[in-house]
Amino acid sequence: MRKLLLGLATVFTGLVLQAQSTALPQVDKSPMDMSYYPNGYPVQKIQDKITEPLVARVIYSRPQKSGRTIFGGLIKYGELWRMGANEATEIEFYKNVRIAGKKISRGRYTLYAIVNENSWTIILNKETDTWGSFKYDIKKDVLRTVVPTQKTDAPVESLSMVFEKTAAGTNLIVAWDAVKVALPINF
Amino acid sequence: MKTFISILFFSLPLFILPACGNKEKKDDEKTGIAAADTSRVIIADNKVNPYAIVDVSPMDISYFPVDYPKLKMADSIRIPHLFARIIYSRPHLQGRHLFTDLLKYGEPWRLGANESTELDLYTEATIQNKKIKAGRYVLYCIPQPDSWTIILNSNIDSWGLHPDPAKDIARFHIPVKQTANRLEYFTIIFEKTASGADIVMAWDNLEARLPVSF
Repeated sequence: MRKLLLGLATVFTGLVLQAQSTALPQVDKSPMDMSYYPNGYPVQKIQDKITEPLVARVIYSRPQKSGRTIFGGLIKYGELWRMGANEATEIEFYKNVRIAGKKISRGRYTLYAIVNENSWTIILNKETDTWGSFKYDIKKDVLRTVVPTQKTDAPVESLSMVFEKTAAGTNLIVAWDAVKVALPINF
Repeated sequence: MKTFISILFFSLPLFILPACGNKEKKDDEKTGIAAADTSRVIIADNKVNPYAIVDVSPMDISYFPVDYPKLKMADSIRIPHLFARIIYSRPHLQGRHLFTDLLKYGEPWRLGANESTELDLYTEATIQNKKIKAGRYVLYCIPQPDSWTIILNSNIDSWGLHPDPAKDIARFHIPVKQTANRLEYFTIIFEKTASGADIVMAWDNLEARLPVSF
């Protein structure tokens, strides 16, 4: 009996030790991704097919809908949303741009949103390299702008961000589930 | 009691093994095309996502100090100094062997997939007695059986294939060692050392370390 208990204890200790020695990170459930403006810039660069200079990129993690209602469900209306998962979503401008008439200097920013049914408040905040929205500090906001929501043609499974060319610059399209918004960026 | 403990003892692996197996099964359900150092699977969502397809080799980010964003969240008063981060994509083996199903000795390897693997140094660093300025670099590798050449390159914001050697900034030769277990996903992490950190690169049964001093 004592031997058995000892054996059991050894097995558990072994399991704990094994778990501790696995220092390498697991693959994230919400994979990270990156989008550039111009769209596909890195491929253009190695093919010598660059048509316009690099302006922006966004790095974000992509949670999945997984059968849930996202807006007004998983993400409550009126609450701050980190617009991603895991590490804070980062937008970087390689040159000065204008958003909602305001000059935004080149550099890295964290993106947040406060979502409502008909509109989102998009927030650019200067506290970068942070995690989620848990330490959000309104004092570090650089910009808040309200954009209207639109409906997606079909439910979008993974949170998606992509830059779309416009006459005045680009729109950052953010789409998930049944909702999409466009953040106009001028340059 | 004895019987009960015996059952518990022998059934323990039964609880653990299926937990490990589920992930494999999920991956097997995906089908797709093999391509060099990217995975051969395509995620179903890709067919219906009109905005941005989900990458087969997911991107990931490693910071030094390790888990810097979480440290920052846990204690906003004593925020440690940020030294570096690496942004890379994580191809997976899917039954293949790194050498030589995926990579060939002596040929450049992008240390990732998709976009070039990016090293961001937020402070000056020293690697093998060479000073490297703060800034953004592409990382790639030329592997040999016993050593890897790790290369810092200035062609940032590029796609990982066909690195441009004319833009190389520094080359470092490091040993590569065999590991006991095979690792499914390519992994890069920082590991703290007395003088800074090792950039640990591990995949399949291989591990290489590039020591960096800050």
